[in-house]
Amino acid sequence: MNRGVMLKAVYESWPATLMCGLLLAGVEAIVAYVIPTFQAQFSESLMQIEFIQTFVSAMLGIDAAEQLGPEAFAAFPWVHPVVLAVVWTHALVSCTRVPAGEVDRGTIDLTLTLPVTRWGILASETIVWIGTGVVVLLAGLAGNEIGSQFVVEEFRVPLERKLIILANLFCLYLAVGGLAWLVSASSNRRGPAIIIVFVVLLASFLLNFLSQFWSVAERISFLGILDYYRPVYVLRDGSVPWYDMSILLAVGVVLWIIAGAIFARRDVCTV
Amino acid sequence: MSILETSALTRTYGPRRGIETVNLAVGEGTLFGFLGPNGAGKTTTIRVLVGLLRPTAGAAHIFGLDCWTNSESIKHEIGYLPGDVRMQPWLDGRTALRIWGTIRGRNLLPAGRELAERFNLDLSTRVRSMSRGMRQKLGLILALVHKPRLLVLDEPTVTLDPLMQTVVQQILREMAAEGHTVFFSSHTLGEVEQLCDRVAMIRGGRIVADESLAQLRTRAGHQVTIRWRDAEAAAATPPAALTVEKREALTWSGVLDGPIEPFVAWLSGRGVEDLSIGRPDLETLFRHFYVGEGQERRA
Repeated sequence: MNRGVMLKAVYESWPATLMCGLLLAGVEAIVAYVIPTFQAQFSESLMQIEFIQTFVSAMLGIDAAEQLGPEAFAAFPWVHPVVLAVVWTHALVSCTRVPAGEVDRGTIDLTLTLPVTRWGILASETIVWIGTGVVVLLAGLAGNEIGSQFVVEEFRVPLERKLIILANLFCLYLAVGGLAWLVSASSNRRGPAIIIVFVVLLASFLLNFLSQFWSVAERISFLGILDYYRPVYVLRDGSVPWYDMSILLAVGVVLWIIAGAIFARRDVCTV
Repeated sequence: MSILETSALTRTYGPRRGIETVNLAVGEGTLFGFLGPNGAGKTTTIRVLVGLLRPTAGAAHIFGLDCWTNSESIKHEIGYLPGDVRMQPWLDGRTALRIWGTIRGRNLLPAGRELAERFNLDLSTRVRSMSRGMRQKLGLILALVHKPRLLVLDEPTVTLDPLMQTVVQQILREMAAEGHTVFFSSHTLGEVEQLCDRVAMIRGGRIVADESLAQLRTRAGHQVTIRWRDAEAAAATPPAALTVEKREALTWSGVLDGPIEPFVAWLSGRGVEDLSIGRPDLETLFRHFYVGEGQERRA
């Protein structure tokens, strides 16, 4: 770990962090207010459409036709596709910057010829990534709190439960980041690296969706990372999803270690 | 004692050749020129030395340490300038010095300001607004600012104007005089002639010459161009020391192997309208000293 590399990473990361943080706060505030406030209208109109039902079931991990209660509506802000997209975007942007991004734009030459080991660079970048990730998620929580102030009591969620969801979302963020580090460590181009991770995430999302009505997909749904992120259960009984969080954390850590091993051993060629 | 040493250093890119059995030894306090045309293997050698590439075979050592396995330790005392300096567009000189200083654990701003003054570079300009030459200057400042024991510079003056080239040469001379070692690549023979104590030439991935500049100068000969006054004068038989490579109407171009004075004496009274005698550029030098891919030396 090196303070200078961390300082450089902060300089590089703050615009994306600010943008994602504000966006997440805004989306959380809006969804946290709109969905519970207009839940009756949603239930009567949109939720009658079968595709929407399936989609909502996939997002929440429950049978939307039968189990759509106050918790489910309160869980929406945490599983909304835009929310997940913003969180994932931050992970993707942060974790593909080094080495893929730097090789891509040719700046890696100077970075790697500074007196820091490649593991040191990765560790420093990772600390900044985790720190900025916490900032983004806390901004989302703040937005959610603001939006929740204007909904009826029944749909308000205690802060402790939101923090548990946030912890689960953070583990999901780490797993996505771990994958992004891995792809970035093996790549010379940032664009393709982002696309690969995005495709994997999309496949995971699709698997989660298909598992609602296709038994084959259901059998392998444990392979998708969204299978380990179910805020509605946390909201329902307040339990900490230790198992899900451990799986996500383990995925993130293992992928990160493999990424580090690849980065430490690989040749870097920008010309 | 050699501060930088490679033995049978080889680096290939799959089926593509990089460098083959490169042997170099650079003594402390030396200004060492590493010459070669584009694609000869200069940058590959340098990238192995600074730990960006792993050797396919052979070894590279700096300060007696392996360039790959002890890369971090070596880099504490190295200043490196890549051939094509690229930096983060948001970076400005001051921020770069602050970051580099934090990484190296010392305040580099005062020394950086001094260098910036010599290079006439405004440290508040962001990289995104810099010309290639300005980026090169900032790269040089970052390579020089911590007064490294060894400077590894890949074509340091290539994008600089003649005035700045002189400044760089002056700084490198000063550093060498203070005992720092400078290893720099170039394809400009003139620059190397002005600066270096010793040079190595690489072509086709192999070292084809590694000697002092005095030896190289003797072997290089002079590039000669003669414009004769008339066809009768142009029909003369050249002296043995002159190899005429090109005859175009009244003009001869060729290489003079040997001292200039007897040649000038031979020319006198033979109807010369114009004459130029100079050192050949690097490409010409290669053409004269080495033949084909086998880099066989000219007899």
